[in-house]
Amino acid sequence: MKRAIRIGAGEALVLTANRLLDGHIVWRDSHGLWQRSIVHAAIFSPETYEAELETAIKSAQSDGVVGVYEVVVRPGIPAEPVSVRERIRAFGPTVHPQFATELDA
Amino acid sequence: MKQFDLAPARHPAPANLEVVPVAEMTESTRAIRLTPDFDVETLGTALDHLDLIIVTFPIFRDGRGFSQARALREYYGFSGEIRAEGHLIADQAQFLRSCGVDNVLLDDRADTTPWLRALSLFPVTYQTRLGLR
Amino acid sequence: MNAPVGHYQYQTADREFLASRIAEFEGQVQRRLSGELTEDEFKPLRLMNGLYLQLHAYMLRIAIPYGVLDSRQMRKLAHIARHYDRNYGHFTTRQNIQFNWIKLEETPEILRQLADVDMHAIQTSGNCIRNVTCDQFAGAAADELMDPRVHAEILRQWSTLHPEFTFLPRKFKIAISGSPHDRVAARFHDIGILARPGEHGPLFRIFVGGGLGRTPLVGHELFDSVPEADLLMTLEAVLRVYNAYGRRDNIYKARIKILVQALGIEGYRKAVEHELSLMNPAHYRLAPETVAAIRARFAAPDLTASPDAEARLRNDRQGNIAFDRWVRSNTHPHFAPGRIAVTVSIKPAGGIPGDATSDQLDRLADLADQFSFGELRVTHLQNVVLAHVAQDKLLELWEVLNEIGLADANHELIGDIVACPGLDYCALANARSIPIAQKLSARFGIMRCRKRSANCASISRDASMPVAIIMSGISACLVLTNVVRSFSRSLWVVAMMHCHVPVTYSGRPCRKMIWLMPSPVSSIAI
Repeated sequence: MKRAIRIGAGEALVLTANRLLDGHIVWRDSHGLWQRSIVHAAIFSPETYEAELETAIKSAQSDGVVGVYEVVVRPGIPAEPVSVRERIRAFGPTVHPQFATELDA
Repeated sequence: MKQFDLAPARHPAPANLEVVPVAEMTESTRAIRLTPDFDVETLGTALDHLDLIIVTFPIFRDGRGFSQARALREYYGFSGEIRAEGHLIADQAQFLRSCGVDNVLLDDRADTTPWLRALSLFPVTYQTRLGLR
Repeated sequence: MNAPVGHYQYQTADREFLASRIAEFEGQVQRRLSGELTEDEFKPLRLMNGLYLQLHAYMLRIAIPYGVLDSRQMRKLAHIARHYDRNYGHFTTRQNIQFNWIKLEETPEILRQLADVDMHAIQTSGNCIRNVTCDQFAGAAADELMDPRVHAEILRQWSTLHPEFTFLPRKFKIAISGSPHDRVAARFHDIGILARPGEHGPLFRIFVGGGLGRTPLVGHELFDSVPEADLLMTLEAVLRVYNAYGRRDNIYKARIKILVQALGIEGYRKAVEHELSLMNPAHYRLAPETVAAIRARFAAPDLTASPDAEARLRNDRQGNIAFDRWVRSNTHPHFAPGRIAVTVSIKPAGGIPGDATSDQLDRLADLADQFSFGELRVTHLQNVVLAHVAQDKLLELWEVLNEIGLADANHELIGDIVACPGLDYCALANARSIPIAQKLSARFGIMRCRKRSANCASISRDASMPVAIIMSGISACLVLTNVVRSFSRSLWVVAMMHCHVPVTYSGRPCRKMIWLMPSPVSSIAI
């Protein structure tokens, strides 16, 4: 089932999931590997992300990840998710600054 | 498909009975398949002629079949065979047995090990400890 | 070690049960890792063991049945926070504690550690009967008619892995109180039970179909006086009607309140009575011996106090304004002379409501040993109660609480904000609740009067307002009325709901109950 997403001008997409074993948030890099930091996320255009998403969902079980989906971002280093929720996922809870995600992990 | 016994059926139905949807049953029907929304009370005296009732689970999270099976046994004294079909997982084995289901229909390739294991866990339930039957 | 006071003491059968449950869960994890179970199949199984997949990690919600735990159990929670999480836990509104940074691979070991102290996370989530909640002053409050904990324990046992009611249309919450001042929000539960003594044993008044969320409804009285023997039979009948007819096509219409609304209370009662007419009472009877056997596993504390305890407390309060104010707001009358029940606020001004560090959990355990027979309770307002403190020891307790930052005198005042974790942690949320709660309590919750401050008087008055603020980060967890008003003194609050509820709040009449939710779109920039 395709989710309805809104992609604004100049925005792009990255793929995310959680690791099954420890629940950590991961981002898909350009080699199809799941990385801890959004810094390593491969950036996809609205035209190209769907094929990669499909591949990622198919290999989720063997990759040990769960809940694969796409996130709209403003490209950059790091890519910055457009929604508050995804910024919290990428960078950590706002109420516990000490638990901020290490971006160079 | 293969049948996995949760408990020895008290009155096993003869093999190869023709199973008809409950909406199409006639006076000569001996085996029916219920839908989850079916009210078993409406079977009335037709129950006396049935050897097999199949409760169905469109998805394992839909727990109506548990109440149907239990009502058949407890309210209406049905002593024939009750079978469960559909999307079920091994972790429900004991719940099904407690509600009066005799066996489940599994895919031919299904591994019965987790089903057997599930039946061996929890030898004593809290409900029995409280004296409920 | 002495038997723990205040809650059911486990026996071999209970411990074997927990061991089975952990073995079962370990098997489920293995089947999930091998791919035998899909995530869709595994999810309800892990939820029924309290394990959510949240934004940053797994979250484990541990049950504190009827809100009572002992110091040994509290220390174990501190240990889990320290070794498997990030050094803190979050008390919830349903007498659970949750940890936000858990790993699936470590969960069976955590469950084993919990089982070592007779605790578990069973049915703290999922579409089943959830942890049964209870009055936090049960067995202590002067106004109580009947101690509801024995029956709460019976409900815990009855609902645990119930063969018929583990795959309900939606979650199912039961609360029980034995006070005429309903301290459990009975009419906001799927089933709310008010217990009272009768001529021939306990009687139970049963409400059904209440709840908050996006369709807030006040529960209806189903039966006025159910005798003890028929309690479980009646609940089974209520659940059976719900299991058979509750909606499964729309998650937002699947709670029992929607079914009760659709059938009307008379219709629902008729359906329940029909079930009851088909049931054999002998099969469901809750026998007095069964109740007595469970009651016998609750150790009772020796509540005698020094004869001059009350006089000494009166004396201690004189000349110590801060202590006196705390006694006024954070204690509740005890039925035993010379004793008093204390609410320890887990709501420091500007802090995260309900969060406690592992060190604080350990210190609370120490205080329980020192002042309250090793017994603690957690409340649905996310605070902790020491229920049986000797009045002549109250000043000493308060002084220690001050040292560890848990002496805020704000119970049921504006600073006592209830808040869910919201979007910072919760996968279901759509707004951040904690930052707003922190700002509100920092602005309104400070009791101390700053010297030479022009608005000193107004700050004091604000802080003593008996206003309940409930912050929700999930629009689905909201709202009693749709009257939206602006809140003149808190510009950061984007949307707010304001209402007068037809019931008292936590036993006391409350002038205002305010439900807040920051707007997701304009939620403070990060």
